[in-house]
Amino acid sequence: MSDAYDALRERADAAWAAWQRPERPRIAIAIETSSLAGGAGDTLRALEAEIGRRGAAVDVGRVHGYGLQWLQPLADITWPDGTRVLYGPVTAGDVGHLIDEATGLIGAAAGLAIGVLSGRRTGIPPIEDHPFLAAETMGRRLLARIGHTDPESLDHYLATGGYFAVDRMLSRHQDPASVRQLMIDANLTGRGGAWFPAGMKWNFLAGAPVEERYLICNADEGDPGGWVNRVLLEGDPHLIIEGMLTAAFATGSQHGFFYIRNEYPLAVQRMRQAIADATAAGLLGDDILGSGFSCTLEVIRGAGAYVCGEETGLISSVQDGRGMPRVKPPFPAAAGVFMKPSNVNNVETYANVPLILRNGAEWFRQAANPAGTDIGTKIFSFSGDIPRVGFMEVPFGVPLAKIVEVCGGVTGGGRLKAIQAGGPLAGYLPGSLLGELSLERAPFSKHSALMGGGGIVFIGEGSCSVDLNVMFSEFLEEESCGRCTTCHHGNQRMHEVFSRVAAGGGRTEDRHNLELVGSSLAYSNCVHGQASPTIMRNTLRLFEGEYEAHVAGHRCDALRCAGMTRFRVVDQSDPNLPAARDICPTGAIKGEPGAFEVDDAQCVRCGACTDLAPRGLVREAAPPGTATPEQRAPKPPGVPAAAGRVPLPFQTTVIARAEGGMGGPPPFRR
Amino acid sequence: MPLETEATAEIRALVADLRPDHADMLEALHRVQHRYGYVSQEAMYVIAEQLKVTPAHVYGVTTYYSDFRTTPAPEVTVAWCSGPACRLKNGAGIRDAMQAVLGIELGEDTADGRVGLVAGQCNGSCEQAPQVWVGERVVGRLTAARAVTLARALRDGADPASV
Repeated sequence: MSDAYDALRERADAAWAAWQRPERPRIAIAIETSSLAGGAGDTLRALEAEIGRRGAAVDVGRVHGYGLQWLQPLADITWPDGTRVLYGPVTAGDVGHLIDEATGLIGAAAGLAIGVLSGRRTGIPPIEDHPFLAAETMGRRLLARIGHTDPESLDHYLATGGYFAVDRMLSRHQDPASVRQLMIDANLTGRGGAWFPAGMKWNFLAGAPVEERYLICNADEGDPGGWVNRVLLEGDPHLIIEGMLTAAFATGSQHGFFYIRNEYPLAVQRMRQAIADATAAGLLGDDILGSGFSCTLEVIRGAGAYVCGEETGLISSVQDGRGMPRVKPPFPAAAGVFMKPSNVNNVETYANVPLILRNGAEWFRQAANPAGTDIGTKIFSFSGDIPRVGFMEVPFGVPLAKIVEVCGGVTGGGRLKAIQAGGPLAGYLPGSLLGELSLERAPFSKHSALMGGGGIVFIGEGSCSVDLNVMFSEFLEEESCGRCTTCHHGNQRMHEVFSRVAAGGGRTEDRHNLELVGSSLAYSNCVHGQASPTIMRNTLRLFEGEYEAHVAGHRCDALRCAGMTRFRVVDQSDPNLPAARDICPTGAIKGEPGAFEVDDAQCVRCGACTDLAPRGLVREAAPPGTATPEQRAPKPPGVPAAAGRVPLPFQTTVIARAEGGMGGPPPFRR
Repeated sequence: MPLETEATAEIRALVADLRPDHADMLEALHRVQHRYGYVSQEAMYVIAEQLKVTPAHVYGVTTYYSDFRTTPAPEVTVAWCSGPACRLKNGAGIRDAMQAVLGIELGEDTADGRVGLVAGQCNGSCEQAPQVWVGERVVGRLTAARAVTLARALRDGADPASV
C-alpha cells in the first residue's frame, strides 16, 4: 500500500467509526431523486426545525434510499451502540415520532419501522428478511454501500474498502494487460444491454496506435422505466470513479468523461463533487497516489436526447456537436472523441470493475445464471402495476415470477397482462409467458425481445397494447436523430398508424404497412432505427387478438383508446355529478342535477369526471359507427397523414443487413 | 456579428473559461439557459465565437436537444411525465386534461407567457406515478381531476410552489 493511501485511510476509518457508532443518535434521511420526489426535502426541513425547536440531542445525516422506493421518504436512525433501523415513509408530520424514537422513547416510530440495518432490535426483523429483498440471494455487491454510507462522503467510501484495489494496482505497478485479462477472465460484459465483453473492448483501445486516448462513461440512461445507473451515480459515485480509473490505467487513457443525462441533476452534482473530492485527495489528477500515473475525469451534462445513449451518438455529443450516431466502422477504439481512440462503457459495467479488481475473477463468476452464460449480479428496477416499486441486485437467472411475487403481485390482484423490459427498443411480452421468463438474456431473445439494461415494467389488465404502442412509437419518433430516412420517417409512420388505430380508424392494410415499415427500419444505421420495430412486432405477433379487436372490431377491451370509448352518465343520483361537471376541462358535461349528460363531441376522454364521480359516470365501449375518428384522434404527429389506402403493387422482401455496416465516409468533425 | 451590448458582454463573461475542442458546448448552452431561461440568438453568436465554431453549428446543436429553448421561458413549466409507469395509470388522460385546460399542446406556452407544457422523461421515481414536474418539484400520484385543478390554478396565476 502506498503511504498516501494509508494516510487517507486512517482519516477515513476514524470518520467511518464515528458514523457507525455516533456519540449522539443520528437520523439520516434518504436524499436522492426518488426520495425527493416523495417529499424527502420537506421531511429534512421539518426534522431540522423540530430538532432545533426541542433542542434535541440528535444529529442529522444523509444516505441514499435502500431501494424500497414505494416507502419513500426513507430514513434511518443510528444509536450510539451501533444499532441502526430503517423507517419509511417518513413524512414531515412523522419527524416528531422519529426524534422520540431516536432519543430513547423506543417504539414511538414502531409503525414506520421497516427493518434493522445493523445490530438488533426486538420486534423488528433484519432488513435482509424483508419480502421485497427475497430475490437478492447473493447479497448486495454493487449496492453494498447503498443505504449505509453517506453518498457524498469520500471517507465512507475509503473506509469500506474503496480505492484499495486501485492503490494496490498502482503501487505494485501491476501490468495493464493483466488488468484487462482479469476482466476477460471474469467475463464482465457490458451492462447497458449489449453484453459485449468489457475486457475485449479495453484490449481494442489499448492496442490503438495513438497515445492520446479517452474513456467515456455512458450515464445517459434514457430507457423509460429504468434507473439502475441513477442509483449508482447518486448512491456510490466513487465506485464508478474507481472503475474508470482502473480502466484508464488498463488502457493507457489520460482523460475520461461522464456523460450524464440532464434528467439526473443530483447525479451530475454528486459526481462533480466526488471528482473534486477525489482530485483533492490525490486519487485523481497528476501522479495518483505517488504512482506516476495521471488521469483526469469530468462530467458532461446531456440535454435530453435519448439517442446519445448510442455510443457514437454520445461521442458526437461530447465533441460539441449534435448527438447523432454515425456509421461504424471506424469503431470508437480507432476513432472516438475528437477522432482519438476511445472506449465507452456503461455506468454499471465500470461499477463492477473495482469489485473484480479487489475480489478476483473467480469471486465474480460465483454469481451466474444456471446455464453459466450470464455472469455476475445485476441491478434491476421494477415499476408499473405492482405495489412495490424499487430496485434490487440479483444474480442473473432469477425467475421473473419470483420478482412479481416479491414486488407484491399485480396491483389490485389482477392478471399480469404484459412485461416490458429494457425500454422502447427491447420488447413487449405477454404475461402468460411469466413462467418461462427469468432475468437472463436467453428467454427474452427466444421470444424476439431483449432483456435490456435493467428496467422492467409490469403491466396489468387495465392497459391496452395499442395505447402503449402509441406511447412507444411516439417516443421513438421523437428521439430519432433524423439522419436515416428509414428511421425518422419509419417511426413517424408507425406512430401515425397506431394513433389512427387507437382513434378508431384502423384499417386492414395497417398490419401489412407496419410490417413493411419494420422491415425498412432494419436498414437504419444505428440500433435506434434497427430495434424500433421490436415492440410493434411483439404486439402484432403476441397480442394479435387485441390488435385485431381494435382494427376489425373497433373495440378496445381495456377501455383506453379514445376512439373506441365514451363517457356516459349512468346514475343521476350520484351526488358527485355536479363536481364532475365542474371538473370537466372542456365543459362537456351538461345539464342540471337529475339530467346530466356528456356531450361526446367535446369530451377529450381524460377521465377527470370519473375520478370524482365513479358511480355516476362510466367509461364504456362506444357503439361501433358512432365514433368520428378524426375528432377523437390526437393531433397527427409531425407530417400530415398520407392516404395509405392503396394496396402495395409490389412484393416486399427483407434483406439481411450486411454484417458490420456499409463502411462509409470517415466521421464528421467540425 | 452584432455590436457588443451589455447583455453580450455578460454572456461572454459567462462562458469565458470554455475552450474550443474541449467538450464544452453543452456546458456553454446549459449555463446560458440556466441564467436566461433560454438560448438567444445573441448567445449563440457569443458561444460560436468562444468555441470557434460557426453560429449555424451552435444553432444546430441548440435545436437538436429537447432541453434547450430558443424563446424566453414561461413563468412556470409543467413537465408531463411521458414514461410507461405513468402511462399505465392514466398518464395520457392527465396530459389531455392539462392540454384542454391550458388550451395548448405539449411543447407550447400559454399566450400570456404564464404556463408552458412540455413532455418530461422518466427519471425512475415511478412509485409516484402518474406524475408531473411543476418547475423542479414533483407532483405525484395524480389523477386527471387533480391535474385539472392544478392546471387551472397555474393558469389563473397561483404560486407554483403552492399547487
